[in-house]
Amino acid sequence: MKSVWVFYQKEMLELLRSYKLLWIPVVFIILGIMQPLTTYYMPEILKASGNVPPGLLEGYVIPGAATVMAQALGQYGSMGMLVLALATMNSLSGERYSGTVEMVLVRPLTPATLVIAKWAALLTLLMIALGLGAIAAGYYIEQLIGSLSWSTVLAAASIYGLWLLCAVSMTLLFSAFLRAPVAAFLGLLLTAGLALAHSLLPSWLDWTPAALPDLSAQVLLQAGSVSLVGPCLSAGILILICMGGASLLIRRNILPN
Amino acid sequence: MPLLQVTNLRKSYGKHTSVDGISFEIEQGRCVALLGPNGAGKTTTLRMLAGLLQPTSGAISFDGSHPGMDYRRALGYLPQAPAFYGWMSGMEYVTFAAKLSGSGSKEAASMAATAIERVGLTQDARRRIGGYSGGMKQRLGLAQALVHRPRLLLLDEPVSALDPLGRREVMELLRDIREETTVLFSTHVLHDAEEICDDIILMNRGLIAEQGALSQLRSKYSLPVIRMRTEKNDGALKWLETLASKPFIVEARLSGDGAVFNVSDVEVARRSILQEAASLDIPLLQFEAGSSTLEDLFMKVVGA
Repeated sequence: MKSVWVFYQKEMLELLRSYKLLWIPVVFIILGIMQPLTTYYMPEILKASGNVPPGLLEGYVIPGAATVMAQALGQYGSMGMLVLALATMNSLSGERYSGTVEMVLVRPLTPATLVIAKWAALLTLLMIALGLGAIAAGYYIEQLIGSLSWSTVLAAASIYGLWLLCAVSMTLLFSAFLRAPVAAFLGLLLTAGLALAHSLLPSWLDWTPAALPDLSAQVLLQAGSVSLVGPCLSAGILILICMGGASLLIRRNILPN
Repeated sequence: MPLLQVTNLRKSYGKHTSVDGISFEIEQGRCVALLGPNGAGKTTTLRMLAGLLQPTSGAISFDGSHPGMDYRRALGYLPQAPAFYGWMSGMEYVTFAAKLSGSGSKEAASMAATAIERVGLTQDARRRIGGYSGGMKQRLGLAQALVHRPRLLLLDEPVSALDPLGRREVMELLRDIREETTVLFSTHVLHDAEEICDDIILMNRGLIAEQGALSQLRSKYSLPVIRMRTEKNDGALKWLETLASKPFIVEARLSGDGAVFNVSDVEVARRSILQEAASLDIPLLQFEAGSSTLEDLFMKVVGA
């Protein structure tokens, strides 16, 4: 347990010194701010581009604060996910190919220790980035559009964060035995596949983690009762499988050759 | 009781067998060289001993414990090409290593400072490892292997990649380190092994070709031989030729300005050759009598 903490500290220091702890939250903040800004200034933007058919702008209604917040969180599903996958892909794979893992795992710690520490560091990064992003988006929504219930924002962001964490965990799993770019690609592919399957067969797959983004939006819009148990449970199981798999695979792939 | 006991250790990858059933023991406090040409299975053996590779079969017992017991706490390991986190400083890395081996923060910091000082990196301890030279990285590798005061130190080709100066530094360090802990290091250079080791394990193609104490092997494989080299002048060369017909010389091989004589009695041969050289005023450059045919053994094993 102590070595998890030691390794976690090392991971955080690495995130800090490689500036990931800086630029990833910045990307999330920009993504979060973009949504309320573009929504609010849409008529101006369209006017500036000229040749808008008359009558179109009269019909434009700025959506409610909660809707804009849901859209802002939705931004993290594509760009945010990509950034996170890129930040995760090297996590185990880089250590294997550079040989640093050989010198770490010769000490009295288990591969699981390493995986848990890495995962916890990525979770910290995700929480900081998503948290700051959501706060920035919420601030601009409050300024430009209308008031928000911050506790609902917190709940919705957490639910969305769980979905992002699933993607991070899957990338981490692939990173344990594949090269970094392949790991990022497969992690994103699997996440996109899950999301696609859910959008095609929503009623069959509403228990999977892929239902989480929709649930997050429903929480914000307070659209009736939301059943979170299935998706959260399956997300938890998926994450555990990823971490267990990563621990087993890195044990066998300490030496990449 | 031996510190490390290896029985019938094998490692195969599919059809290819890298280590083919080797057995040896290492006594506490000895310095052992694992010698052999490239591809002999030295690195695979060390990785299995370090717990990084699972042996296909065979047993490793540390300090009399049951085979399979985790002894990594008592182990220091330096791989062939040590890789560090380039963004850390030398001191940070060694402290990190000490903590991973189970030391508390304060203890780890003082142990790291000692280890860094030991390998002579105190001046550069606060610099990023990314800017270290090859020799400095190797010394840092030794520091991280030593920091938790291991009972057994496994070093994989610790000097092979270094320039003569770096090699000298690391060899001096090893000479120092071997006084306080048991060392097993691999090398393909016989000279390195002869310089600091007590015992030699000679491997070739996954098998142990020969093993034992260095002194023992030396006398076992030593032939009464005299090697000489003179300056290139006619008188000296003629003299070498006349030596060949002396009664105590069994076989003579002359090559340019040098000669190798197999003799019946080293004592007699040495005395009479040196006396003659002195009285005839022969410009000797080199004179070597006796053993040191480990090299021949090594070449025989490697060439076979």
